[in-house]
Amino acid sequence: MANIVHYINQFFAGVGGEDSAGSGPTLVMGPVGPGRRLAELLGPEHEIVATVWCGDDVASGIVPAIIDLIRSVDVDGGVGSDVDGGVGGGVDLVAAGPAFTSGRYGLACARVAAAAHDAGWLAVASMHEDNPGLDEAGATPVVASGEVARRMAPSLDRLAGAVTKLLRHEPLTAADGRIGKLARLTVMADARAAERAVDLALVRLAGDHTATEIPLPRFDQVTPAAPVEDLTTAMVALVTEGGLVPDDNPGALESARATRWLRYPIGNLDALMAGEWRSIHGGFSTAYANDDPHRILPLDVGRQLVADGAVGSLFAEYFVTTGNGTSVANARRFGIEWAADLRHSGARAAILTAT
Amino acid sequence: MEVMALTRLIHHVQRVALGARTTFADGELVVSTDEAEGIMAHPALASVRLTWVSPGESARIVKVLDAVEPRTKGPGGAGIFPGFVGPARTQGEGETHVLRGAAVVAAGFLPRAQEALVDLSGPAAALSPLGATHNLVVEFTPAPDAGWEHVDAALRAGSLRLAARLAEAALDAEPDEIEELPSPSPIRGDRPRIGAVTNLQTQGLFKDVFVYGRSFGSSLPTLLDPGELDDGAVVSGQFGHPALKNPTYMHQNHPVVNELRRRHGHDLDFAGLVICPEPVNQAAKELVSAFAAKVCAAAGFDAALVTKEGGGNADADMALKMDALADLGIEAVGLYAEMAGIDGTGPSIVVAPEKATAMVSTGNYDHRLQLPTMDRALGGDEFALVHAPATSAFEVPTAVVYCALSPLGWGRVTARAG
Amino acid sequence: MLLCNLISIAERVGAPRIVPTRGIPYPTGDPSLTPEAEKAWRRRLLDRALEALATTVHQPTVFEVPEEARA
Repeated sequence: MANIVHYINQFFAGVGGEDSAGSGPTLVMGPVGPGRRLAELLGPEHEIVATVWCGDDVASGIVPAIIDLIRSVDVDGGVGSDVDGGVGGGVDLVAAGPAFTSGRYGLACARVAAAAHDAGWLAVASMHEDNPGLDEAGATPVVASGEVARRMAPSLDRLAGAVTKLLRHEPLTAADGRIGKLARLTVMADARAAERAVDLALVRLAGDHTATEIPLPRFDQVTPAAPVEDLTTAMVALVTEGGLVPDDNPGALESARATRWLRYPIGNLDALMAGEWRSIHGGFSTAYANDDPHRILPLDVGRQLVADGAVGSLFAEYFVTTGNGTSVANARRFGIEWAADLRHSGARAAILTAT
Repeated sequence: MEVMALTRLIHHVQRVALGARTTFADGELVVSTDEAEGIMAHPALASVRLTWVSPGESARIVKVLDAVEPRTKGPGGAGIFPGFVGPARTQGEGETHVLRGAAVVAAGFLPRAQEALVDLSGPAAALSPLGATHNLVVEFTPAPDAGWEHVDAALRAGSLRLAARLAEAALDAEPDEIEELPSPSPIRGDRPRIGAVTNLQTQGLFKDVFVYGRSFGSSLPTLLDPGELDDGAVVSGQFGHPALKNPTYMHQNHPVVNELRRRHGHDLDFAGLVICPEPVNQAAKELVSAFAAKVCAAAGFDAALVTKEGGGNADADMALKMDALADLGIEAVGLYAEMAGIDGTGPSIVVAPEKATAMVSTGNYDHRLQLPTMDRALGGDEFALVHAPATSAFEVPTAVVYCALSPLGWGRVTARAG
Repeated sequence: MLLCNLISIAERVGAPRIVPTRGIPYPTGDPSLTPEAEKAWRRRLLDRALEALATTVHQPTVFEVPEEARA
């Protein structure tokens, strides 16, 4: 028998609506709300041993706490047996949702499923294809739900099918309702790329106008921020992906494939002196930047703007990373962290230089 | 019309050694250490050390710089590597001796060279062309006061002279194979006319490519006879993105060009090779792209196989060029490495073409490899990327394995949705 | 807002406010100019950046710096 933990939000747990959206994660033994129907669909071979629910406003930010709760089921619950029929095993699979098109709930389901996957459990989330949380699941499978909670029954049918299949250690495909990103898996082709390129050219010339090995990438939709109403009183931050750091690179910023960003104080500086600063970016010739660091971080003119009253003040630090082969996942994380940090510090705008 | 421009006389190198005299006989290449050190000597280099490493050995080369296949057209080079070893006069005709299965490989610290490795055994060996060649590794100690740009230039000139000298040892040997190479046909026949468009990453010091000895950075796209590649007219001085770089060795053995030659007169006609710089600003990228498309149109391309060198900003050159070709009615196929993240779910191309959407994947840059310990390492004691001893076991992104995602289409690694 | 040279990439990834610059290695500079002229160019870039920040946009929007006759 397989042990399943089900993740849902406060609304489907029957706790409340927006008034309870700030509630922290809570563990309940056995199925709750839609979990009861899911348990029936899964049949006697599978058991929803516990439900974890959390308020929509906080869930996506405290995924580690949610995972800890699931792990407590694993250790203390000691419920039943594992997939292989042995005794004393723990959780086999984490199922999250369905979240329909609810953005906060979808984001939480996606992140919980991804974190559960990283923690070593099987995991699947359920939401509508348009749910903005979808991409956050990474390579963890997501199956389609209906658009709204009225479509609960068919959504649970599909989720139950996915759970059953995953527990058989079979991959989910589009036929199972799988949506979202399919990972690009590294494989060895039969022929070298040069030969395949000639073949593809001949196929295209023969009239197939869509053949390709790489589908066009889909980038996020960015919602533009509202304009700054009064820059003359606003604090503005200078940030860069140009790899500009103090000359000895004390934070060991990477020259390519950055996994981190750094912050350095500039509050007491009016200018950046050559020799004291250096770009360690590996993607372009840095001689120009090293001769005059303002070519990457325009602190000198930033001070002019403050002196002239064009902006209120400059943020006392700059943020830096290296945008060179840096994964979109890391870059997105840097952006989220920068925005949160700057907002918390009272900055109203950021000027980002990119190389 | 069949124009035979160049004949490659192939000598297979099966065994290698260091010895008193430089000789090649019965597949064995012996290199005189004294002579080789003399050839490499330069005021910017205090000393050099020469070591062979061969396929299957428990050996790793780190800090790999350029690699060159030994070739010559006659005594003293007779025009090989024009602009470096020979005078800058057009080449690409006659006979060229090739020591296939060997490479001269410079390795060591240069500022701004991204850490690159070649394993001669283990899972990474099959991912690099140098995993299957006998490599004469040139390690070096710079002269105390030498500027790095002079060290770079000394290594480049010395490696090319050394490669020419090694091939000279085979001038009197019977070739194992003779390859008659067709030149692109100027005449339109019944078959589709397909050519190659090869972008060279030209971004200044330590990120530059030389054509006939000159930086190609400020040039406009031009037709090049593929035989000129064979004779070393294109030389790499570009040390970024190890998996996405095109060392001299790869230009000499350009996989797309070789494939077009192989199929010329069968299912296609080889229409030509156009080389293009990758400039460092948008306006110049647009000009080069539009100009390249015009050159392809003038040469009667029906389709172009477009290749890049480098990381994300080189994707912009690709997209602009492929769309410019599409605008002129030329079918463009791009060879792209993907940057899809460790788990393969990220958007895999920084900027994709809008109109010309035919792309071949040379693999995921971010895919992780587990590399085993090695008995010895050349090029340096440390693998800088992970600050670990160069002989130790570590995990690396495919991005650091030399030519593993070769934009020129050498490899079989690819990525598929799964 | 974003100061960069490769505006085709910036637009494709959805950057809302973009001011184009003159070269990849020097987003807020131009080494072909004298130091004084370069700083003046940087000021014009930043002035344009502030205009972008004060403007409502709904999609990736490029704010070119108006060309001036070069001295």
